[in-house]
Amino acid sequence: MSRHSKFLLLFLLLPLLLPAQGFNSLLGDESILNAQTKQVNQFFRRFNGEESVTGNRFYPGDKDYRNKDLRRRYLNTLFDQQNASMTDPMRDAFTADVLANGKEQYLNFHAGQWFAEVTTRFLYQGKEETLTLFMKLEQENLGYKWVISNVYFSHFNKMFTSNQETGSHFLHPLSHELDFMNLIRVFKDKDFVELYTAKEYKPDYLTLFLYEFKKGNLKFKSVSKVKFHFFQINGWYFELSEFNRPGSNSGWLISGLVKIDENQKDLLLNYIYKE
Amino acid sequence: MKKITGILAAFIVFSATAAFAQNEISPARKQAIDSLALEKVRDLSKYISIIGNKDTPWSEANRVIERTLELFADGALMGVSSLNREEVNYYGIREYLERLMALNYDKVNISWYNIQYVSDLERQPDGRYVGVITIFQRFEGTTKEGLRYVDVTKKDVTVYVERKTTQISGRIIGFWDVLLGDIRVTETKPGS
Repeated sequence: MSRHSKFLLLFLLLPLLLPAQGFNSLLGDESILNAQTKQVNQFFRRFNGEESVTGNRFYPGDKDYRNKDLRRRYLNTLFDQQNASMTDPMRDAFTADVLANGKEQYLNFHAGQWFAEVTTRFLYQGKEETLTLFMKLEQENLGYKWVISNVYFSHFNKMFTSNQETGSHFLHPLSHELDFMNLIRVFKDKDFVELYTAKEYKPDYLTLFLYEFKKGNLKFKSVSKVKFHFFQINGWYFELSEFNRPGSNSGWLISGLVKIDENQKDLLLNYIYKE
Repeated sequence: MKKITGILAAFIVFSATAAFAQNEISPARKQAIDSLALEKVRDLSKYISIIGNKDTPWSEANRVIERTLELFADGALMGVSSLNREEVNYYGIREYLERLMALNYDKVNISWYNIQYVSDLERQPDGRYVGVITIFQRFEGTTKEGLRYVDVTKKDVTVYVERKTTQISGRIIGFWDVLLGDIRVTETKPGS
């Protein structure tokens, strides 16, 4: 073997001879960035098995498009591994439901049943406060847009009592005969005024928010956090959050998982909307 | 010259995919548009490195800022946050680039990771398409006293794709144009 060939052989074998750690450090941080789920869009692709391990997009008709083994491998990596409340049996049950033979389930960007929870900072009465916007995708013409569907602001919620017991707070049934002169009692005390409303009345916080904003009482500062709530998988709810941390288990990951019946969905939605 | 190259590239996208329906984006066309969008993002990366470099003469940096602005749609913003500050600070693109040029380091080295992610293109109500390209940047600044600051940032770049027409020798030719939009800059922790 010539000196030149020996050198070539050593060059080819060098990576195998180096300790694994040393070789990984030659790759730098790029393998970790590659593993990270960098966009919500990538979460959809990986969940559905529409992306190769090297990051290439698969399209319908490609050999490995939505390949079940690929999906199984991806699904394992799409959970926040540091969250002990999502136990192994729970994740396995979820994965089994998603990949069930003949009943495979996929996430669909345009199919609804998922929405965003956006934590924002607003100036309210001169003080910086947290306000949560709930946003959903809506179709308009041939395209889509995100719209605000609900709002949570602690100041609004505190303002409206959930007490349904009227006690002595009602307008007697013959008030009309006196031209409702007893309304003076209704508007004497701010704390009880909603007890005089119809039982189907529900405060509309979104309207309240828009009113306060238009009056100049709320001034937008910034977005501080975004997460997503998914109800697209039959019998399951999951939450998607972004983890900005070292390691490959980072980026957009499932941060909460609950097995739910259809009739529990409204309860869960009320909990998310803090109603 | 740069603009001419961009228009030529857009025509290549058009001619490569002209067989498809006028306003729908097929996978083949998507790949061609992705390449064009990635080229614009690469131009942006290159310009940021030049503007941030302390060896770039002031007049040259200003010239590059003007060229960078040509890549963007009007009113585009940079939203910047860091590891110890959740709050997002908003800057116009020109303001962001001028701040980068004026950074108080003796030496600045900006490099880019080979990782990028290109999202699907989604149609907006106004008929334009929008996508997001994610890239990662390593910034290293050293002061006169030898103090070193290093950060890695994730940059999520909005990309607008619009079908336009132009007239060449009396014929109306359609092509897809790509413009950059808002950029979200997040400090990140890629370590092992």
